Amino acid sequence: MADASGANEATAKMDYFFIIDFVQSLVDGLLFGTTYALIGIGFTLIFGVMRKLNLAYGAAALAGTYIGLAAFLAFDAPPPVVFLASALGSGLIGLVVYYCCFRFTPTSYPMASLLASVGMLLFIDEVVIHLSHGMPFPYPSVFSDATLELGDIWIRGDLLFVFGMCVVAMAVLFWLLYRTPLGLATRAVSQQPRAAQLCGIDSTRVNALTFVIAGILGGVAGAMTAAAVGVLSPIIAMGLTVKGLIVVVIGGLGSIPGAIIGGLLVGAAENVFLLLRGVTERDIYVMLLLFLFLTLRPGGLFGSTAGRD
Amino acid sequence: MLTLENLSKHFGGVRAVDDVSLTISEGEIFGLIGPNGSGKSTIINLITGLYVPTAGKVTLDGWDLTAMAQHERTSVGVARTFQNIRLFGNLSVAQNLWVAQNGHEQRRAHFLSRWFKAGGEHAPDVEELLRFSQLHSKRDVQASALSFGEMRRLEMARALASNPRVLLLDEPAAGASLEDGQLLAERIRAVRDRGVTVLLIEHMMELVMGITDRIAVLNFGRKIAEGSPTEVQANEDVRAAYLGSSHKKEKLIHA
Repeated sequence: MADASGANEATAKMDYFFIIDFVQSLVDGLLFGTTYALIGIGFTLIFGVMRKLNLAYGAAALAGTYIGLAAFLAFDAPPPVVFLASALGSGLIGLVVYYCCFRFTPTSYPMASLLASVGMLLFIDEVVIHLSHGMPFPYPSVFSDATLELGDIWIRGDLLFVFGMCVVAMAVLFWLLYRTPLGLATRAVSQQPRAAQLCGIDSTRVNALTFVIAGILGGVAGAMTAAAVGVLSPIIAMGLTVKGLIVVVIGGLGSIPGAIIGGLLVGAAENVFLLLRGVTERDIYVMLLLFLFLTLRPGGLFGSTAGRD
Repeated sequence: MLTLENLSKHFGGVRAVDDVSLTISEGEIFGLIGPNGSGKSTIINLITGLYVPTAGKVTLDGWDLTAMAQHERTSVGVARTFQNIRLFGNLSVAQNLWVAQNGHEQRRAHFLSRWFKAGGEHAPDVEELLRFSQLHSKRDVQASALSFGEMRRLEMARALASNPRVLLLDEPAAGASLEDGQLLAERIRAVRDRGVTVLLIEHMMELVMGITDRIAVLNFGRKIAEGSPTEVQANEDVRAAYLGSSHKKEKLIHA
């Protein structure tokens, strides 16, 4: 009798810990998922105005993050300066990518700019690996010692900071897009490029500024990815690119709300699969999720590109 | 004021516009008519810069439009509406006007105020256009949620927001009833009374004959007649183009 109740109690405790672990993974995943959301938004913004994919985007975000790291290594800059330098550096590289791969490639051949951006992805990757000797570097993170305890759920301070920064970046983006002339012009170009030009909007300039803004978002995402683990390594370029593309497929290419939801979903799914199936199988299940979306809902959650020419 | 000099546009072997010359004077409502496929829309696309002419040029008060980028033509005073409406559907009515007004007004303004200054949907010019187009009560409604007639009014207002000297109207009465057509005629006159020269492409003959000062008729890309509405209606070539060769029972003369 006593043995049986003890065993029951033990099972109940196991269940309880499992639920706590599960919720913990979910929360961590959602918090970190905001970096994926930012990368997804970057892909989506550029696709929105140009109807072209910029595959160099993840690599540009990484390179921008290395610019912040350079400031850290060279001047021992404080973390806020490092983060800012990462974001602005990535914005600058975004502009370079625009002029190298998109500005002068013929618009009627989508493959031209797509392959140019693949070339740029490889080029940036090589430059970064060359300069960093392929070695991971420590990257400043903040609040890594702090934790917020909600009962048995512990929220890491650095992860909460990552989440906060990404949310701020999104809030600024929404203000830009919905309240400023630049944002309205961007949305006008993405909806009716011809009519926008005939309203006097210089679409070349709007495109260039969109690359800069998307680049800044990518830089924030890169900086926050590195800050969350405290290390910056060149291999995250592929991760950022692939995760960003998965996010936009799930959310629907061209939709910002879709990119946000997609980012959170991928972040959460990744962490939950990590808990349930371990690190070696994690990505298999994320890819499976992608496969499900591609077959069952290829337009994504919010996908719509109708009504544009 | 707006001059087409020996303008031609060939698509492969098709002469969509063939050596057309026109002069539209300041303050005029000028009609451009012709059967389907006669080159009317091609001419608008040549004026606004969607197409590059095969030969000839378009000038506005001596400015060579054909040498300018599309968005630059707006700043010298060309605006248009589209046959199939092209509003910025996700923007509000007022924002549609603000975008167009901003594209024009602040061309030389400082970078920061040009791109980042919020609140332009309440600018006096935007308010005036909302009243002019009777869309004031709909100012915060998304453009895609408007009725068809409201969309047409908004598109015309958006074209006016760039403060044009010439407004090109591409079949503004398409899909409209006869009564709508009469309201449209009043609105086109009101646009002219604002000091804007109007080039009207239209199929609704009642509208064209009623409000235009002069008309040019195209057929197979060539100009076959030009003159006052009465002169054009009396022209034999025009009657043949509409009634004879195309076998269409379109009523040219509403009598």
